[in-house]
Amino acid sequence: MARPAAFRMPRRGPLRLAPMFPRVTAVLVVRHGGDHLRRTLDAIRAQERTPDALVVVLAQADAEAREQSAEAGATHVVQLEEPLSFGEAVRSGERVLGAPASDADALWLLAEDAAPEPDALQAMLALLETAKSVAVAGPKLMEWDEPDRIAGLGRTITRLGRSLPIVGDELDQGQHDGLSDVLGLDPAAILVRHTVWQALDGFDPALPTADDGLDLGVRARLAGHRVAVVPEARVRFAAAGVAGPPGGGRSSTRRRRTRAARAAALHRRLVYAPAAAVPLHWLSFLPLAIVRSVRFLLVKQPGSIPGEFAAAVTTMFSGMRVPRARRVLAAARTVGWSAIAPLRMQPDELRRRRQAAAEARRTRARGRSNELQFVATGGGWVLLATAAASVGLFSWLIGSGGVGGGGLLPLSGFAELWRNAAYGWRDVNIGFVGAADPFNGVLAVLGSLTFWSPSFAVVLLWLVAMPAAAVGVWFAASRLTERGSLRAVAALVYAVAPPFLSALAEGRPGAVLAHVLLGWLAFAVFGAATSWAAAATASLLFAAVIASAPSLAPALLVGWIVAMAVSGRAAVRLAGLPVPAAVLALPLIVEQVGRGTPLGLLGDPGVPVGGAVPTPWQLALGFPEGGWGGWSALVEAAMSSDPRIVATLLVAPLVLAALAAVFAPRWSRAVLALGTVLLGYATAVAATHVSVAIVGPDVVAVWAGAGLSLAWLGLVLASVVALDALRRGAAAAGAVVAVVSLVAVLPAAIVIATDAVPLAPAGERTLPAYVVAQAEGDPRVTTLRMEPEADGGLRATLEHGTGQTLDDQSTLAQTQTELPDSQVELATIAGNLASRSGFDPEAAMREFGVSFVLLAPAADDGRAATQTEARARTALDGNATLVAVGETDFGELWRFAAAEPDAAAAQIPDGAGGWVAGVITTIQVIVIGATLLLSIPTGAGREADRRPRRTARRRDAAVPADVAEGTAAEADASPEDADERAEADASSEDADERAGADAPSDGAESTDGVEAPAPPRAPRRTEGDDDARE
Amino acid sequence: MRVSSKQAIRIGARSLGFVAAAAIAVGSVAVAALVPWTEYRAEAPSVVVQPAESRQQRVCPGPLLALGEDAAAATTAPSVGSADIVTAAEPPDAALEEIPLAAPGNPRAGEDGTPVAIAAEPGGVDAGMLAGAQSQGVSTETLAGFAAAACGEAVAEAWLVAGATSLGRSGLVLLSNPTAVAATVDVRVIGEAGAVEAPSALGIIVPPGSQRVLSLAGLAPNLLSPIVHVTSTGGVIAASLEQSVVVGLAPAGIELTGATAPPATSQVIPGLVVPEAGGVEATEDHVDGDDFPAVRLFAPGDDPVDVSIGVVPGAAGGGGTIEATLEPGRVQDVPLGFLEAGVYTIRIEADAPVVAAARATVGGTEGQTDAAAPSDLAWTVATAPLLDAAVVAVPPGPSPTLQLVNPGGAAAAVTVTEDGTERTVSVPAGGAASLPLGGASSVVLRGTSGLHATVSFAGSDELASFGVQPPGPLDSPIRVYPH
Repeated sequence: MARPAAFRMPRRGPLRLAPMFPRVTAVLVVRHGGDHLRRTLDAIRAQERTPDALVVVLAQADAEAREQSAEAGATHVVQLEEPLSFGEAVRSGERVLGAPASDADALWLLAEDAAPEPDALQAMLALLETAKSVAVAGPKLMEWDEPDRIAGLGRTITRLGRSLPIVGDELDQGQHDGLSDVLGLDPAAILVRHTVWQALDGFDPALPTADDGLDLGVRARLAGHRVAVVPEARVRFAAAGVAGPPGGGRSSTRRRRTRAARAAALHRRLVYAPAAAVPLHWLSFLPLAIVRSVRFLLVKQPGSIPGEFAAAVTTMFSGMRVPRARRVLAAARTVGWSAIAPLRMQPDELRRRRQAAAEARRTRARGRSNELQFVATGGGWVLLATAAASVGLFSWLIGSGGVGGGGLLPLSGFAELWRNAAYGWRDVNIGFVGAADPFNGVLAVLGSLTFWSPSFAVVLLWLVAMPAAAVGVWFAASRLTERGSLRAVAALVYAVAPPFLSALAEGRPGAVLAHVLLGWLAFAVFGAATSWAAAATASLLFAAVIASAPSLAPALLVGWIVAMAVSGRAAVRLAGLPVPAAVLALPLIVEQVGRGTPLGLLGDPGVPVGGAVPTPWQLALGFPEGGWGGWSALVEAAMSSDPRIVATLLVAPLVLAALAAVFAPRWSRAVLALGTVLLGYATAVAATHVSVAIVGPDVVAVWAGAGLSLAWLGLVLASVVALDALRRGAAAAGAVVAVVSLVAVLPAAIVIATDAVPLAPAGERTLPAYVVAQAEGDPRVTTLRMEPEADGGLRATLEHGTGQTLDDQSTLAQTQTELPDSQVELATIAGNLASRSGFDPEAAMREFGVSFVLLAPAADDGRAATQTEARARTALDGNATLVAVGETDFGELWRFAAAEPDAAAAQIPDGAGGWVAGVITTIQVIVIGATLLLSIPTGAGREADRRPRRTARRRDAAVPADVAEGTAAEADASPEDADERAEADASSEDADERAGADAPSDGAESTDGVEAPAPPRAPRRTEGDDDARE
Repeated sequence: MRVSSKQAIRIGARSLGFVAAAAIAVGSVAVAALVPWTEYRAEAPSVVVQPAESRQQRVCPGPLLALGEDAAAATTAPSVGSADIVTAAEPPDAALEEIPLAAPGNPRAGEDGTPVAIAAEPGGVDAGMLAGAQSQGVSTETLAGFAAAACGEAVAEAWLVAGATSLGRSGLVLLSNPTAVAATVDVRVIGEAGAVEAPSALGIIVPPGSQRVLSLAGLAPNLLSPIVHVTSTGGVIAASLEQSVVVGLAPAGIELTGATAPPATSQVIPGLVVPEAGGVEATEDHVDGDDFPAVRLFAPGDDPVDVSIGVVPGAAGGGGTIEATLEPGRVQDVPLGFLEAGVYTIRIEADAPVVAAARATVGGTEGQTDAAAPSDLAWTVATAPLLDAAVVAVPPGPSPTLQLVNPGGAAAAVTVTEDGTERTVSVPAGGAASLPLGGASSVVLRGTSGLHATVSFAGSDELASFGVQPPGPLDSPIRVYPH
């Protein structure tokens, strides 16, 4: 029925003299109406050699498209109600045509966004007519908006099967016009002999977007035909996604494209492989996906990982698609695979492309300078000054192998340190199976720095804490000001923050670490908006800060939500910020919530250190230890004024400077920084109202200093914002703030410098030497430690080996409010040992493997405690099963006469934790490992820096990255190079940064409002514009 | 230079912002300080451990000894007659065991008997429901009088407040170790001039199951007001002090005193029997002899201690108060003034822990002639408050009387079971009650929580008393914190 209409068409066109009249049917696939379609239809109409018939396939097209198609004078209009792929749509259109009359009849496969130049069809048809062996001819695809730029000119595969464009994104200067035979083509606007089309059964339905044209070309080659490009035939192509994968730089499009390319590559691999190798390939998909995911992390494309796995799984379980494709291929194949070998991309060409890309990268890297200028703007002096101050304060620590007192204990050996960081046996007191504190992981990392003697790492921490805190905030401040003086002021003020000195003086490792890391976290978060590496680093620091000071978790989560809200499209990089923290803490959260003590999650990790609870006023001045920063004693000795007034006056300049931030040009920074202050203060006040950690009869309040550290960070950054806005006198004003802040902590510093704090250089033990000597031969030797308490009670705990270590501690145990049976049993045994009792004292030995009983002297010299001590001593003395060892540094010691080494009851049960421990640890290792890979600031070791200007670099890095992949014995294709094409969001950030000229943001953990409208297309080559944000 | 209106608005807005920020800062501190935020405080878990029932044990000091009767054997102290030992337990049919302790220093132990440890099987009686007591009257050329003592618990630390080593006074410290472990005992004597250096009394080994006797005069001669502080490590010790008085050539009394209540800021000496009116004013500086009621006080601390001594006569209350200041490290005897004959409660309130005991004599009058010398003396020790129930063993003696004192604010009804007959005695708040006992050797008291009790004996020339002490803390429940 279509024939009469079809016959009419040629008469309308200019009469052509040709040996025969091959019939050309244009199949136009349309989805959307509009400008593209109109211009495409006009272009078809304007062909010098018009097609003999036009079949318009409306694949779930909109109304405008239907309207425009109706006016196009189509021979046939095929309406499809499903959004079929290009290949399937063409197949539907071809179905309405009759059988081809001769080999010369051809199909011209057009899409709505492929507008041929007037001589395109003529040129291609001429080739088909002159060269009988050519079965498929393709045009030179030009960019729709920039017709002098090549969008595609044939495709090929490497020797390992990866799909590559022969020409990618080049200015057309006729340099490729000599090209003819190719392996495959982009599907748009190709001219296929109708007979060959039918023999090859069209496009492979399993390749809906990517590699369909390439696959057709390969199969045509194997069927003995040729595939050629016709550079004279130019077609403008918009890559709107009708034929071939959609172009454009939106990250979601990009991810879809990557996934489609990967799925196509895997499918082709199964189809092209010898039958025997198919199962092996099939089995290799998941391992390969893992390996490639690691690479994606290193090149900072974590978004491609889900697609990678999805592509692998969907291809592995694609039903009959692979067998069908193999059947079709085998049916038409007439020549061997060697026929296509010359058309594959040759290794030397690959090498040449890689070298060119590396050269381009080097050229760009040369244009960058280190904007931070750490040394040039005085960072070195800050480091030197704080290091000298630290040495002055902790001179008594230098040379010692460990530090003890306060909340400090030795660390375990390397292996046990890491064991204690994982879910499993918590070797504190009786011991139990449970979740590790995330802080144990931080300790493991810290202790591994000095793996030969992990306890020494704590000494190092104390010595480098001040310089490390100063430098972190120096870097954070460098995002806010160019002035070296202000950066130095910020660093100094933060390094001598009162809560920091308190934490150092009282021996609180968690609070010290949190204070040090907060500055670095702020720095990393500032960079996270523009860099995956910085974002991953920030998430690791976020996890470490929350692990060290869980009380900061609510404030930091609020900050994270605010940062997400104000950072626009950069939010994608901030979205994962709490993931490592959450994964580390999840087992603990489940257990704490499960047993009804959710507030126990806020408990400070490590040894609970009690103390006076500060008032809100004291907190407002930054003193978390329940005093006035040592001013009470000093002021009362020297003058008659109130110490509170003196302390307030000394903190006032910093607070006023911070409040003045609202005068600075950028409100948002001031609001965010001051909001951080408020959050930190609220955290500190709230902490004083929550007491969860239990030590004997005492319940210790959460340390308020962590919240104050956050508040101090906000104060310091707000002050920097305020002072930076001053045109003159910023340095002088900053100096005033710094000097007054230094004076404010003078009493605290004197106390530390004279070692009038509970800390002291300490050996490796917390138990008497006699027990430690026993532990040499029996590492699980168990000591029952009894401490008389102020209320006349007795605290009874078990210690194993050489005593407790910092990494043995568990907040799960400390915050337990209901005693399990084993604890009750131990208490019963201890109570009876401390009494004249008919109880069998050897139950302690039998049930818990106790070898020693240590009666610590009463810490409280009240009557009840001394009486309890006397009572316990009397009872233990009179116990015939115990032998008195004598008085030791840690109290009086007895030994069970019948105790034997390696008591069974003292051993850690085999397989504690079971499979749960394995699963939890594996998940945590994967997440942390992935974050760590992502945070490594290079792309597979190729990117020299981690600066965020990725657009330009990535575009050029695309090829070498692919080459690397190709040489990694992995052989497959990313046809459109989708992953590399353009990171639209990165580019939009580029634009934003250029516009704002100050990308970093205000506030501790928020990024600046990176919400500038995304440019419609990524800027193409922005070289030398990289700033050193990261 | 004019400020454009736009600039003015901008500056105004910023200033408002500054004020707002400052207001928020002040406001948040105020809110933090003023709003009564709810507090979350976890409960510290603990277990109150009731020690498993153990062998209850009391140690009776044994027969009275005489030091130096035989000059050839100065290291020995032979006994003078034998003591009557009675035991009491609740339930009465509980199986009791009497274990004699070795008395290597007493060559007459074979005839007169030895110290005895009274023991009940574990679970046989509750803590404190086992008692023993002994009494003995002697009349020899050097010793005369009546002495009674409770069989006490062996402890690691005891304060003996009694005795003197001045002319005519002699004392013996009896250290009994009923345990299976050797005890290393330190005996420290403090006198009116301070602590006495006596290195030989430190580190005395008392073998398991035996008694050792020390001469108080040998450790610390010429003390008017000694106090003996006994501490032991290893085994525990039941310590008592035997003292005898010779005035002129006539024996003027003998007493066997057990440990007084441990140091505390508040002490109660119940049932001080003053058989005859008399005494010395507290303000009197130089008084010799011991024939007047007095209280001996010592503060073990390092600071001077102000003490208020209430002397409460009879059952009703009232009476006078004596103020005194104790020098640190020195023992002080405070005369109780002129007292009418009767029973008195001595209540001591101090601003630091003190130990105390009170003394009274019978027979004789003022003056130091042989004929007028007192015929006997008694030390009444401070006691610790009783538990809800107590059992008292009453040895034979002249008119045994149970003296109950109720220092609390509410009257107490005490059920006294004696030989199966039950009677209820009301002890008024802040008052006392004297309860003559009918000669039964076992008295069970109930409803005595917080009360103090003494058993006193008084004849025309005989006087003795012993305190009823609650069981020591070693048996009491203890709170254990397993975190």
